Formats: sequence, structure tokens, C-alpha cells
Amino acid sequence: MSGTFEINLRINGQEAVLPTTAEKSLLRFLREHNYWDVKCGCEEGDCGSCAVLLDGRAVKSCITLAAACNGREIWTNRGLGRTDELTKKLQAAFVESGAIQCGFCTCGMIIAAKHYLEQGGKADRSQIKEAISGNLCRCTGYVKIVDAVYGVALEMGTGGI
Amino acid sequence: MSEQETVYKIIGKATPRIDGPAKVTGKMQYTSDIMLPGMLYGMVLRSPHAHAEIISIDTAEAEALGAVCLTYADINPIVYNERSVSIPAATYRDRTVLPAKARHFGEPIAAVAAASEELAYQALQLLKVEYKVLPAVFTPQEAMADGAPQLYEQIWLGEEKVAVKNNIGVIRNIEEGDVEAGFAAADRIFEHTFELGRVYHDQLETKGAVCAPEADGSLTVWCTAQSIHANRQLLGRVLGLPLSKINVKKLPLGGAFGSSIQVNTVTPICACLALKAGRPVKLISSREEDFYSHQKYPSVFEVKLGVAGEGRFTAAQVKCLVDFGAHQVQPLPYMGCVAGWFASLYRYGPLRFLGTAVYTNKVPCCAMQGYGNPQINFAIESMVDIICEEMGWDSVEFRLKNHRGVGDEFWGQGPTIRSIIKSCGVPESLTKGGEIFAWKERRPHTEKSGRYRKGIGVARGFHTSGTGGPKEGEVIDYSSCMVKINEDGSVDLISALMDHGGGTWDAMAKIVSQTLQVPMRMIGLSPTDTRNTGYDVCTHATRGVYCGGAAVLYVTNKVKEKLLEYAGRILFEHPAALEIICDEELGQGVIFAKNYHQKSITIGEVAKIAQINSWGTIAYTDSYRQRNCPPCFTTHFLEVEVDTLTGEITVPKALLYGDCGTVINPVLIDGQLIGSFNRGLGYTVYESLDVDQKTGELTNKGLLVDYKTPTAAEMPAAENVLVHWTDTYEPSGPFGAKGIGEAALASVQAALANAVYNAIGIRFAKLPITPEVVLAALRAIDN
Repeated sequence: MSGTFEINLRINGQEAVLPTTAEKSLLRFLREHNYWDVKCGCEEGDCGSCAVLLDGRAVKSCITLAAACNGREIWTNRGLGRTDELTKKLQAAFVESGAIQCGFCTCGMIIAAKHYLEQGGKADRSQIKEAISGNLCRCTGYVKIVDAVYGVALEMGTGGI
Repeated sequence: MSEQETVYKIIGKATPRIDGPAKVTGKMQYTSDIMLPGMLYGMVLRSPHAHAEIISIDTAEAEALGAVCLTYADINPIVYNERSVSIPAATYRDRTVLPAKARHFGEPIAAVAAASEELAYQALQLLKVEYKVLPAVFTPQEAMADGAPQLYEQIWLGEEKVAVKNNIGVIRNIEEGDVEAGFAAADRIFEHTFELGRVYHDQLETKGAVCAPEADGSLTVWCTAQSIHANRQLLGRVLGLPLSKINVKKLPLGGAFGSSIQVNTVTPICACLALKAGRPVKLISSREEDFYSHQKYPSVFEVKLGVAGEGRFTAAQVKCLVDFGAHQVQPLPYMGCVAGWFASLYRYGPLRFLGTAVYTNKVPCCAMQGYGNPQINFAIESMVDIICEEMGWDSVEFRLKNHRGVGDEFWGQGPTIRSIIKSCGVPESLTKGGEIFAWKERRPHTEKSGRYRKGIGVARGFHTSGTGGPKEGEVIDYSSCMVKINEDGSVDLISALMDHGGGTWDAMAKIVSQTLQVPMRMIGLSPTDTRNTGYDVCTHATRGVYCGGAAVLYVTNKVKEKLLEYAGRILFEHPAALEIICDEELGQGVIFAKNYHQKSITIGEVAKIAQINSWGTIAYTDSYRQRNCPPCFTTHFLEVEVDTLTGEITVPKALLYGDCGTVINPVLIDGQLIGSFNRGLGYTVYESLDVDQKTGELTNKGLLVDYKTPTAAEMPAAENVLVHWTDTYEPSGPFGAKGIGEAALASVQAALANAVYNAIGIRFAKLPITPEVVLAALRAIDN
């Protein structure tokens, strides 16, 4: 096994110095340190269940190396839900719209939706569909998820947030 | 405000699901999120051969690394079937925790547990296995040929030894009426063959388990499961422990679609590792391993239907051939169910079903949303279109005239479980659906040209609601629960019923809320386990609301009786003179004397007084069995667009019409219908699993990137996904409710194929209809 070393990073707003190894993915690193709202669906960059924000950009943590995150900032859905108004809105909208069934994709979906809206994404269902098409959901058929994001986007567009 | 308006009614209301906040905030824990102090990580060594004897496994080097190893030599070699929904006498048994012989590529051969995932992986590489590679069979035809390599010499049916010949696992033939006379009376006989290949559940949470030996010699288990009691019972047999020493925890499932109807293969492996190690072990499948765990039953159907000139059937016959892989996860009930779904679609007159299910050196097949229903529905509903096209009949009219409806018999789980249909939304869904979709204005494919061609298709289907019948049959069906009123008026609901994500738990809570008039926020769903609950067969067969919900209603009504009796003592009123009305602001159910509302007491006060006076806790626990299996119906009207240049099929518009009786939560019914449409789209135009015919390895190597499922981008625009449900009431259901889950998928594939025919005039009888398949068919016409 390769050697263990420490990395400095901010996770969900808190400074952390945590051990990792060169080959460890950010997904495994986060889950080992109890950030288990970051889900492992495929570990090959396909399903998006493991999405987190890395310096404000949505990334799939299973194909991101933990070691590459030294000095960087990570937010997971659970952390964002405690402090970030937009995420709170999205979370409430997902519950209201019926965008949740088994819930395994949900945290990754919220990250994708937040990223879309923060990058200036509009209340346009077709663009929202594209924006979340890197995240798989086997339960819902996506329509209610699109509805949830659309609702929040509309509210943002009218200065609601 | 009138009195009517003040009545608290939560059944039928669109309400946020009870587990929504925990899931959306990422706080909900699934099996893979369980972390225990001192936990080891398990990994499974899988066979690189499709068929091979295991001569020896050398674990010395792995053990030297500190790993705990598990091989065939370590396990109790009892022979079992992972699925225990059917009664033992109708259950074939052929497997052990780990095998002495590998029967498919990717089959678990040995396992290790070590202090970290990295160490476990290294230990796995150090296991030395000597195999004697055997010839393998990958198709039923190969498998049944004389002289073909045999997967088994003998297996067990219940307690009987059964010899296996030509790899035939199950033969199931069912006949009703004089079929030959029926065909002789036909004006036309139609015969076609339909083929549906293997697909994969792709539930987002891969199968896994965490097992912890406890100080009292018991084992605590967290696992992906559709029935915690089924897991407990099998583990008890495998580990030789009393059931009181095995406690399986109830957890949410990250999707299932049938993939955990059986005890997952990894769960007993994990339990054996934990007991051998004397420490907790966590064993979570990778996605690749999950692909090699279970897949959907493929089926080939040879369908023969006789019709008379006046637009009715005279006889029907289906020959069904199933390649179910290396182990039986119950192709016997599968074929019984397929026969039942076939029989229950139409009033054919006499009918015959001839089913053969064959072992091959492939991944075992298990239930997957519909248990053969989407498969046979594709065949029959395609046939109805073919017949109507040929005979010049309107296929909606034909369906209306010939479908099984109120008063007809429905086979809810094969030939042994039947009940009479009491509610049916088929006429409404076909008639109104036809109006919404302008069915009568549909133009034939001959009038269509150009690169992009649109077509409209219809198909109808159903699924059972549970597997209860007036008489007990091959399948076990009952649920248990306990309902307890706490001393502040809140209510505990304790049940082993599992929720895959469809919202079963939400429905249960709503049933309690409605019956006791207690607001939803005051109802607690116990995160319970097998020790604290009565048996529940499984969340399968679309039985969650209809059967599980009925058990909750039954028990809650008993609690209500006790509550009103105590309230009567306090208020000096006869219990029959009392009623409960929810006070949402107060957060309480309030008991009033009917017609004298000045006299009242909250449920919480009653419970508190009952406690102080030592009358006892207001609680009740029992099991309950439904004695009907009512069909929940669906109709799909779908519009497709075929790009004749690329062969791509898209769906601009979809009408999903469901009949679930009373709607408990409209948001969740929408979710079932839309989600099922999405998956049906995948099975129809994208998804298939193939194996390398030399090695038996999956051609996608178990990689999700090479198994495409529909994303949001492939769905129709949200405003073009129309969801309707019929105005029906099921007299035997809780508050008139039936199921919907599996019905929601049943007719998607046929409706899509029928729409494709209407667009380009080509009938596809084999799924999936990929762009390559479409282009080849178009070229064949051009030539």
C-alpha cells in the first residue's frame, strides 16, 4: 500500500487536516470521514450519486482524487442544506414536488441543480433536463425533479431568492 | 365553515412524503452508510470461468496478510433458494452460500475480510484457486441438447430430490377448456414469436450487508432487503442459530425493482465472514459485481391466438421458454405468474400455457418489476395490434370488448391464487385516453413519409395488488404491525414492511393518520427490526399499500376501539357515541361526544389517564391477510418519432393512465407512473445484456457506462407527460385503494412498439429496438 499523507481542505465550511493515500478517490475519502450523504452508485463517473461541489463546481467525487483536493473547498448536499439558502430552497422543492423516491440519487441531483442555477441557469425545462442528464435516477423518471428545479429557478428569476 | 369542511381528510391529498426531509438533506442512512467500530471490510472473489470445478483454494498468503478468508470448506453446505416468498413445497433449491462448482462468470467463489478496503483487495489477489474448467452453455437450445454439459445432476423441490435432465429446471403447463376446439372454431389464427432479452435492475444502491456479532452470541444485520424476515430466516438456517439470535434491521432501500426480493447472495457471505472473524464485517457490492448478481428473466414467447370474425377470441396458446441462468430464484412461480398475466388480459375462451425454464451458465435471474408481466404483455398487446390491423378492427374497441373486467376472474399470482375483479378502470382509461390522444384521428403508417415519422400506439396492462386469494395458494401473503398511542397523543407505527422508494411507508402513516385523526407529524415510523415485528412476507407483487396498508388499517381500527372504550369511561359516554376529529393546530386527535361537542378530550389525555390509572397502553399488534388480489390497471397512449436516417426513436408525448382505486397520495402515484414509463422506455429502446459466447463474461463487463439507461434528456418535455388516473374504488382495499407500482410498467413496451409500427410500418417482435435494429429493418424494406 502506498504511503498515507495528510491533506488540508475545507469541507462543508470547516477546515480539516485528514489522512489519505495517493490512489484514494474523493468519494471514498469523504465517506470514510463520515460524509456519507455522498453516495456510491457506480464508481465509474456515470451515475452522479457522488456529486459534490469542488471550489464551487459540481464534480463526480468517484473520479476525483482526494489528493488533488489539497487546499480546496468541498461542499456536500448535507453541509449546504445547513447554511445555503438556495440549497434549502431546492431541498424543500424536491420534497414538495415528489422529486424523491428511493432518495439515493437525491444528494447528487441537488448538487447538479445548485450548480446549474448558480451558473446562471434559467427557468427552462429543456435546459434543466440537460443540466441534470449526468445524474441517473432509476425511480422517478426525472419529470418531478425537473419540476422542482424549474420552480426554484422561477422564484430566483423573480428575485425570490 | 361547515362541518364537512372541518373533517380532516389526508387520504387522497398531495402531501410531502414522510421520509422526504431525511432523504433530501442526506441524513437518511442506507446499508452502505453503516459504520461500526472495529469493522472489517469484506470482498468477494468471483469466478473468471462460466463453468468450472473448484479443485482447491489456497488462502495461506491472504491470511498471512491478516485477512479472514471464507471458502466452501467454511460454510454450512445446506442447499437453499434465496427467495422464500413461495411455500417450501413450491420452491426449488439448488445453491449454497459459496459453491463447490462455479456455474457462471462472476459467481462468488470465496471471500475475505480485512481492516481496510485496500487490504481486503490485496488479500483477494493472494487467494490461489485451482479450477478445472468445464464446457459451458449460454442458450437454452445449447443447454437442452443431448450431451450438453450439465449444471446440476440433482436439485431439491421442497424436501424431495429431483433429477435434472437436459438442464431443464422447470416445466409448467397449464390448460383450461378445450383449446383445440377453440382453434377449430376460429376464423383466423395468428401466430408470432416475441423475444425479450436480459436487462438489469440498475437500482442505484448496490446490494450489500453489514453484519455484527453481538456480546450475547447473536448477530445484528443491516442489509439491502425487501423482507427483513426472509433474511433472518435464511441466515438462521445457514448459520445454525435460533432466529432469536439473528436481528435484521429495517432500512430504506436505494431502489429495488425486485432486485432484493430474495436474500441477496452477499448477505449470507457477509454473515459467515463476521462470525468467523468475530468482528463486524461490511460487504458492499461494486456496480460491476451487482451486474453479476441478478438480472431480469428473459423470455421467448410463441403466441397463437384464434379470432372469430365478430371481433372476439376463440382460443389462446403461449409457449414460453426462459433462460434463467445458473441458479433458481424461482422460475417456477415466474412461469405460473406469466401464465396468469397472459390468462387475465383477455377473455380468450380456452387457453393453454406451455412453459419451459432452462439452466444456463449465466447470471441467475430474479424478479424485476412485474415478474414476467411486462414480458408477456409486450407479446399479447403487440398481437392485439397485429390482429386488429389485419382484421380491420379498431384496437381500442377490440380491447374494450374483450378485456377481463368486473366479475371476471383474475390470476394474481399464477394459477393457484385467483380472485374476482371488483373494480376496473379499463373502460375509462381506454375511452378517455383515446379522446385525450385523438386516437380516432390516428393515420396509418402508409400515409407517413419523410425523415421523421410520428406514430401513436396504445397498449393496456395491469398488475396484481398482492398475492392474497380466497384460498391460500403457492405464495405466502400477510403483513403484521403494531400501533401504539403514546401519552402525548403521538402514535408509533411498528411494522416490518419495507419501502423501496415508492412511498409504502408514507401510505401506512397516512392510513393511521386518517383512522385515528392524528396529524402526520405526530406519527412515528419505528426504525424497527425482526426482533420487534411480526412477519411480513416481502414488499413485492405491488402489495405494499393493498396488503401492508390493509394490515395497518386493521390494527389501527382495533386501537381505535380500545381508545374509544377508554375515552368512554372518562367521558361517561358509550364508545359508539364518540367520534374523533383531528385538530391540526393542536397537533392532536380530539374525541368528541357526537352531537355534543362541548364534551371532548384529546387522544393524548386519554392515553395519559389510561397510564395513570394503570389501565394499560393503548396498543394492538396482529397479522392480517388480504383475501383478494385485485388488478390495478394501466393504459398507455404513446407518441413516438422515428428518425429514419439515424434509427433513433424518441417519445414526444406520453399519456399514462392508471387505475389504483383510491389514490392515497397523488404525488406518489404520478411518481410510479412516470418512473415506470422511463424504465420501460429504457427496456424498449436501449437496454440489453449480452454475454461473450466463449467466456460467459458480460460484454459490458458489468460497467454502467456501457449499459445505457434513459436520462432526463431522453424524457418527453414535462408538459407532454400526461398522467391521469381513473375514478375507481376497490371494495376490498384500505380506503378503496389498490396498488399501482408494477402495473405502471406493464404496457409501456407494447405501446411503444405499436407506436413505432404506426410510424414506419415495421413490427418489432424483439427488444430492444435500438437504432441499429431500426436501420437494418428499414434497409431490408428498401431492398
